[in-house]
Amino acid sequence: MEAPPVTMMPVTGGTINMMEYLLQGSVLDQSLESLLHRLRGLCDNMEPETFLDHEMVFLLKGQQASPFVLRARRSMDKSGMPWHLRYLGQPEIGDKNRHALVRNCVDIATSDNLTDFLVEMGFRMDHEFVAKGHVFRKGIMKIVVYKIFRILMPGNTESIEPLSLSYLVELNVVAPAGQDIVSDDMRNFAEQLKPLVHLEKIDPKRLM
Amino acid sequence: MQRRSGRSDGVRKVASGHSGVGVSQVPVAEGKSVQQTVELLARRLEALGADKQGTFGVDCETYHTAAALGTQGQTGKLMYVMHNSEYPLSCFALFENGPCLVADANFDTLMVKLKGFFQNAKANKIESRGTRYQYCDFLVKLGTVTMGPSARGISVEVEYCPCVIANDCWNLLMEFMQSFMGSHAPGIPSVFSTKHDSAYSPGDTMVQYMELFNKIRKQQQVPVAGIR
Repeated sequence: MEAPPVTMMPVTGGTINMMEYLLQGSVLDQSLESLLHRLRGLCDNMEPETFLDHEMVFLLKGQQASPFVLRARRSMDKSGMPWHLRYLGQPEIGDKNRHALVRNCVDIATSDNLTDFLVEMGFRMDHEFVAKGHVFRKGIMKIVVYKIFRILMPGNTESIEPLSLSYLVELNVVAPAGQDIVSDDMRNFAEQLKPLVHLEKIDPKRLM
Repeated sequence: MQRRSGRSDGVRKVASGHSGVGVSQVPVAEGKSVQQTVELLARRLEALGADKQGTFGVDCETYHTAAALGTQGQTGKLMYVMHNSEYPLSCFALFENGPCLVADANFDTLMVKLKGFFQNAKANKIESRGTRYQYCDFLVKLGTVTMGPSARGISVEVEYCPCVIANDCWNLLMEFMQSFMGSHAPGIPSVFSTKHDSAYSPGDTMVQYMELFNKIRKQQQVPVAGIR
């Protein structure tokens, strides 16, 4: 059972419900360099940042029809970083004019015994993958270009193979609920990346 | 003694004052006797030369798996979510005899999302609040433990700031505690025996508070006499 739509939930104890606004697209391997080149030009001037992350998706099954999903992510190339636990709600059904996918999100930094703790809570790992790529920023927008790798043997991140011959491109913003103007800014930025990549609102449910 | 800012955590021992003895000896309204014992300990600390340095608070909420989770085979597990004013941006989540997760304050928001699976037993919320005292390299936190409106006991937390290896300074902590707690000074806590020579961490403090709170919860609540 998912939490009720965020716009209906009261603000409790000073916590603000944060929403993730998301646009996604992809580029074939051979087009990667030109996309990175354009992003370097458009985005904030900073050191190019690459990442190598290992993500595990955990499910908690109850009597409800759909299980509760949590994502645990750790850095494989940067030592000393906390683990990242993420909850993503169902995409909000908004008006068709909203340009980005909007869903409730909760991001939590944790100590490195996260997976043991999730198992103790009753979660079980459903699947895992490795993500390798680049991060760019423009203001509050984050642009991530990465390749997903399948892990051949559970728990062994040394032996991996690419899932496809392309890179996934995501443009996202995490902002408090109700700031729909964010999706207009995202659409304007996405326009500047055409025709190298077409970023769109993709509802995961429609793919199944 | 100068306070070091951004200090790595020294070793802490959390002990329970014998509120049972104090309350049972004094047939007065419950709150007053706990307060008197706290004041007695405070005066002893000040006589030693300790300085007051603000206040502290540690709280503990209990979650249990909702009935919906029966099929998982995880029935009857209790999860504690704790906060410590010494670490205002953190949240500690633990299982008895299980792992202790250190997370940022958004963990509380996650527990709200999980309310279909984990129910907050609000009546079980327990906390300890009081004054911080500094004496040379020691930091002492003297707190009144309350559940709802009633005072249920006293907690004394003593930290020896320069040391991070638990086993290296246990004897020193014991000696210091005896100087103001007398015969009420506690024995070596269970977390120390598993630590061996590894560094102490804030999670170890929270485990001790959890054990203390559980002990106090089980103690018989003082009947309200209504006489001063």
